[in-house]
Amino acid sequence: MPADRSLGMDHPHYGYSPLPDRKPLTWPGGEPLALGALILLEHYEWEPPPDAYSLRNPSGGLIKLPAPDYVHLTHREYGHRVGIFRLLDTLERHNVPVTVAVDQLTAMHYPWLVDHLQTRECELIGHGIAASRLITSKMTEESEAEMIDESLDFLEQASGQRPQGWFSPEGVESSRTPALLAAAGVRYVCDWPNDEQPYKMTTPAGDLVSLPLFLEIDDEFALWQRRASLNSWEKMIVSAANRLHADGQTSARHLMLTLRPWLTGQPFRIRVLDRALSEIVKLQDIWAARGRDIVEAFTDFSAGD
Amino acid sequence: MPLPPHRVDYLPMADRPNISWPNEARVALWIAPNVEHYEYLPPRDPNRNPWPRSPHPDVQGYSHRDYGNRVGFWRMLDVLDQYDVKCTASTNLAVFDHYPDIGTAMADRGWEIMSHGIYNTRYLSSLTEEEERNFYLECVETLRRHTGQQLRGMLGPAVSNTIRTPDLMADAGLTYHADWLHDDQPIPIQVDNGRLVSVPYSIELNDVPVFLHHHDTADFVEMVKAQFDTLYEEGASSGRVMALALHPYLMGMPHRIEGLEEILEYLLGHDLVWQATASEIADHFIEHHYEEFVQHSKTINGMRNAG
Repeated sequence: MPADRSLGMDHPHYGYSPLPDRKPLTWPGGEPLALGALILLEHYEWEPPPDAYSLRNPSGGLIKLPAPDYVHLTHREYGHRVGIFRLLDTLERHNVPVTVAVDQLTAMHYPWLVDHLQTRECELIGHGIAASRLITSKMTEESEAEMIDESLDFLEQASGQRPQGWFSPEGVESSRTPALLAAAGVRYVCDWPNDEQPYKMTTPAGDLVSLPLFLEIDDEFALWQRRASLNSWEKMIVSAANRLHADGQTSARHLMLTLRPWLTGQPFRIRVLDRALSEIVKLQDIWAARGRDIVEAFTDFSAGD
Repeated sequence: MPLPPHRVDYLPMADRPNISWPNEARVALWIAPNVEHYEYLPPRDPNRNPWPRSPHPDVQGYSHRDYGNRVGFWRMLDVLDQYDVKCTASTNLAVFDHYPDIGTAMADRGWEIMSHGIYNTRYLSSLTEEEERNFYLECVETLRRHTGQQLRGMLGPAVSNTIRTPDLMADAGLTYHADWLHDDQPIPIQVDNGRLVSVPYSIELNDVPVFLHHHDTADFVEMVKAQFDTLYEEGASSGRVMALALHPYLMGMPHRIEGLEEILEYLLGHDLVWQATASEIADHFIEHHYEEFVQHSKTINGMRNAG
């Protein structure tokens, strides 16, 4: 529905809330900044079903080639085989807790990896079926609900834990998605990069928390879409963290670094993440947190509002 | 699996047998100049347009690349000679017909010639099985006729492939396929008959995407050094492969060539580097590690395969 020039948002998912007008947010330990990382394990099928939607020009590979595009598929697969371990090792070395979005086909084809992530105390969140099967408004509500439920059930079965969080494949939603996620028992969603604090979403099926990521320093957005240089990405991360830490003294902030193992897990890129984290962890009073820790703290903070 | 089906079992870097290269090298480094010919008026391919900028011919795009064969190749060759590099030249094999001077220069230096198809403007993706079988026979025959070399591997022409490609390569007697970017080590590729391994190439440590995306020589040099530093550190526990992909029409330019000197000076200045050709890497892997990798993949994926 096109906007009708009336007060507030042009959709029903949340209300407008300017940050300076909010009750100052505090984290449980009083830290100004919560820091975490969201790693995406995205699966691209070599032959998606004919009715599936992919991004027009997905990242990775060289240029869009006729199928089978070995270069694209294998570039992405690098993350699952090699890059993921560099990311985990680097984040662990700097004590940054890890949340991992795992899509269903990753959980299905890489059971070893799902086990491994759990032994490393990662939080696993839902990520749809595959990056080659986007959730879009072109599908029926019924098939969208099925996709959400099936992928969450599968990840629960594979990991033994019901995922509390969700990041849609390639961050693509339909206008129904928040409601369907709430109906599926999801507590928080990472699809809306529009804030520096969590906020409440309301849907006919119940409330959700939106946990915004930081699109401009998302590795794919910065390094692949914008082709920022590695040095400039490093500076972006460090200066964003510094500023959020400073601004967080009056109202706390969170920073989730969005990282893709096929991209930042490459040998020449991992060193830059390592350098950026070495700077950030020098800040005093960082709350190292996973997605669900931040969401729980936010929920407790907002209780009774 | 996500990859063209049933070709590769999952084998996480965190849990696999160690690779040991000759002389305790940590990194097997292969250097791949792409020696290419893009046709002035290529045949029409229903799935891919080699010159999308304008109706054919695109004299600007054509000349940019033609520069590589007239000038850039020779400037690069001086630098490669200076560092005594044993290249694996990713070659459009028609280069031997069009430019025998280049063919002779490569063959005389004992470079390995890796097939990069016949022309960079003729893709595998639209070929029938029979056409693709004949394509490999033609590649093998062309290389033998011009150099006496036995063809050992391929990077698909303009990285094009079909789902049959690995099977047909192995049937034609090829040993390695460079189009798999999924790993820092050689990996067994399952084929109908015989054996085939991937020797990882790179589209990141590759002058084409780097320079076409407004990065410049200093960025490329920094990337290559950083890539090497990580692999060299990790290679202390298990050998790694690093590919350096170059194009004479880009790296052979006057404003870039010093970058190549700096790169080679740095990489080859380390002791524990095995500067090898792709087939030397493939052969060593097959002889010493192939079987162990296959067996370990079965353990990793045992649960799933049993289910």
